[in-house]
Amino acid sequence: MIGLVNVTCTFDGEKALDELGMHVPKGALFGLVGPGGCGKSTLCKVVCGLVRPDSGVVVVAGVDLTKADRKALQALQSRCGVQFQNDALFEHMTALDNVSYPLRRLTDLPPVDIEDRARTRLAMVGLAGFEDRPPNRLSGGQRRRVALARACVTDPEILICGDPTAGLDPVTSRRILDMIAGIRYESKNTVILTSSDVLGLMSVADRVALMWEGRVIHEGTPPTFWRAELPEVRRFLDDARLPFGGAPWD
Amino acid sequence: MGLSTPVRQVGRLLVGASRETGGAARLLVQIGKRLVPPQMDRSELRRCLLRMGYKSLSIIVATAFVVGVILVIQAFVFVDRYGLRSQLGWGAGFVTVRELGPILFALMFSGRVGAYTAAELGTMQVTDQVDGLRCLAIDPISYLVVPRFVAMIVALVCLTVIGNAVALVSASVMGQILMEVDQHTFWSSLTAMLTPWDFFTSVFKSAFFGAIIAVTSCYYGLATTGGAPGVGRAVNRSVVASAAAIFVVDYFSTFVLG
Repeated sequence: MIGLVNVTCTFDGEKALDELGMHVPKGALFGLVGPGGCGKSTLCKVVCGLVRPDSGVVVVAGVDLTKADRKALQALQSRCGVQFQNDALFEHMTALDNVSYPLRRLTDLPPVDIEDRARTRLAMVGLAGFEDRPPNRLSGGQRRRVALARACVTDPEILICGDPTAGLDPVTSRRILDMIAGIRYESKNTVILTSSDVLGLMSVADRVALMWEGRVIHEGTPPTFWRAELPEVRRFLDDARLPFGGAPWD
Repeated sequence: MGLSTPVRQVGRLLVGASRETGGAARLLVQIGKRLVPPQMDRSELRRCLLRMGYKSLSIIVATAFVVGVILVIQAFVFVDRYGLRSQLGWGAGFVTVRELGPILFALMFSGRVGAYTAAELGTMQVTDQVDGLRCLAIDPISYLVVPRFVAMIVALVCLTVIGNAVALVSASVMGQILMEVDQHTFWSSLTAMLTPWDFFTSVFKSAFFGAIIAVTSCYYGLATTGGAPGVGRAVNRSVVASAAAIFVVDYFSTFVLG
């Protein structure tokens, strides 16, 4: 579904991605972890075509993003749902308008159906009754849930969630991760999820990859990741202050 | 070695200026490509016209009124000394329509609308809203920039025409109060001496100034990095660059248009 080969991305002379290789199978919930500044956000932006890499090949749903023109890129982007770390909600719109906006732009559904579907998505993320609130009258967790509802309202083939739990309390963080897992279960879409809540991410992901200085240095199922002997994995789990040894689900 | 630092600083300044001018020119080309045939969000255009044009009317009218009054007060000494009461309408009209009106209204417009646009787009940029639009397969240039570009040109031209009229009316009223120049004398000297070309020059300049304000504010807005402080820097640069560009273009257009 998503394949990256030798992808390098440089900003102001610094490599954000360094000959990165990665494969995400169709229908997987793929977790990306790594220390801050390791290139997770850049990788998400490369996958949804927001950043063009300097070199390498990026193939998403059969489209080579490094060769795609503007129209091909837009066609692919209409098949992706992206939740940004800082929500990226349109501040001049209500929560309902934010969620219904992708449907208005990308589908030919009648307005009644659009509103109906947007309300259903908001209810699904636990925000029934908040439809008419503008984003500046929502809490951090509520904003994040509106952003999630907006990202998945079109039932995208690929859902990219860039640290949807950043800055949230542990309870809200887990609720959001569970919601993402629920959406994937219902829609059968492919999900790339980065999160600072490593333990929470590993409890919902099928596969987890560790990014380190612009590269994916280890990838596996959560249990194998947990037990990996690679020094960087151990160091990362140590820095994340997670208990070593047996996986919590053993 | 001692000279190398200033030389390096000048070089850095020139490179930075070239990069920004090039970036703005590139944005202008992108806008041009989307204008033929027009690719823009019409509802966004309506919103921009309302916000930039209608809601700027009061500040432009207030500025224009004061411009007309000040013009007459400043001219009072010379008009009185040389007995040029019959030429007051022409003098006020010439200065207002050809030069003072377009440039002052453009600077006011830049401070109000240009700064707002740079801040708005800058905030959208640093909060990933622009990327959010791209992810919805919406071209940010067509959706955000082109409607603002068209709206700023249309709004500034209309505001300049209205502002010129208000400035002339206030000048005529002030002339009557201060110098006892009756309305008929004022307006007949104005209509006899000013040509349609003078009014065309005013419209042409304001259209150009509107385009300059639109391109600079959109460019600096979309190029914003560095969170909230970055938005402040973008607004500052946008207003300064717009003002500088307005004066430079005014200089050349005055040469070309006579």
